[in-house]
Amino acid sequence: MVLVDYSAAGVPVRDDLTESHAGFLEHLRAPGSWWTGAERVAIAAESRHALTCALCRERKDALSPSAVRGEHDSLGALSEAVVDVIHRVRTDPARLSKAWFDGVMASDVSDGAYVEVIGVVTLLAGIDYTARALGAPPPTLPEPLPGEPSRHRPASAKPGVAWVPMIDVADADGAEADLYPKLPFVPNIMRALSLVPEQARALQRSSDAHYVAMADLSNPNARRDLDRLQIELVAARVSALNECFY
Amino acid sequence: MSSQTTGTEVDLEAVNGGVEGDGGVEHGARLVAFTEAVMGDDEAALARERDALRAVLTPEAFVDAAAVIGAFNVVDRIADATGIPLDAGLAAMSGEVRQDLDLARFASSANTPGAS
Repeated sequence: MVLVDYSAAGVPVRDDLTESHAGFLEHLRAPGSWWTGAERVAIAAESRHALTCALCRERKDALSPSAVRGEHDSLGALSEAVVDVIHRVRTDPARLSKAWFDGVMASDVSDGAYVEVIGVVTLLAGIDYTARALGAPPPTLPEPLPGEPSRHRPASAKPGVAWVPMIDVADADGAEADLYPKLPFVPNIMRALSLVPEQARALQRSSDAHYVAMADLSNPNARRDLDRLQIELVAARVSALNECFY
Repeated sequence: MSSQTTGTEVDLEAVNGGVEGDGGVEHGARLVAFTEAVMGDDEAALARERDALRAVLTPEAFVDAAAVIGAFNVVDRIADATGIPLDAGLAAMSGEVRQDLDLARFASSANTPGAS
């Protein structure tokens, strides 16, 4: 069992949030669809390491990231292509492009493996930003569990809408029947990781604990201790700083 | 520039950091300053803004703010890394707001046909 301790924050952190972080770390250390537990923990470690990468810093300051050549400062456990995905997504996500993505797909990274990496890097970034905001150290990465990846690729995932194949709401059946909440509208963001269903489920759990429940997304009166306007102001300011159109 | 949401007039420029005051949102200035500090790399500024926000919010509301910052660092990265377009329904609901905020200036608008 992975434990998360935010006592250093000096404020009581609600249980569902702490449990969400512990649950992600437990999920992280287990074998996934395309990566072993050890590889998934290595992806997480590399994503934290990206914050001190000199190449990433130089690229972030450049007019275009492709204008700066060089090698990432890497922990050395993963291929160069995977390290580039991890570092770019963690440190400069606003300037990812379809051409860059096509280059990744032409390397040794499959679309399923890519989506799983995105899930690990982004969900850990969310935990790390939350801890930073709270004023507590980020949780220690867990010890990996043994086992092989499932190599489960849902047949209902189809290309066309995004860069990566996704499962349409109407096609979510069989092992993926529980993938989406029964709502009139499921936004693309909740479908984005569906090529790796466990990552899509992890995103939904994370979103429910950090933001508002999926069922309340379109309810302007849904709130926590912050009211909805305050929540949306913080959310929109983060997205503006991240230069994210979505 | 303003928007009517839940019956409250809000200055949308607060999203772009271009408003003095709260922009019609309770403790809006403190929330924006804290968010910017978390996203930045000035540790002294972060400590200062954290203290300032905690002075005006309940501990529970402060934790909510921290969690929302975490949530949208996930959402933004997933959207940008998977190339998802903005949903038609969301685009219809938020079209005017998006235009006012000039969100099409962001490179990821290229993933939504007709947005950029």
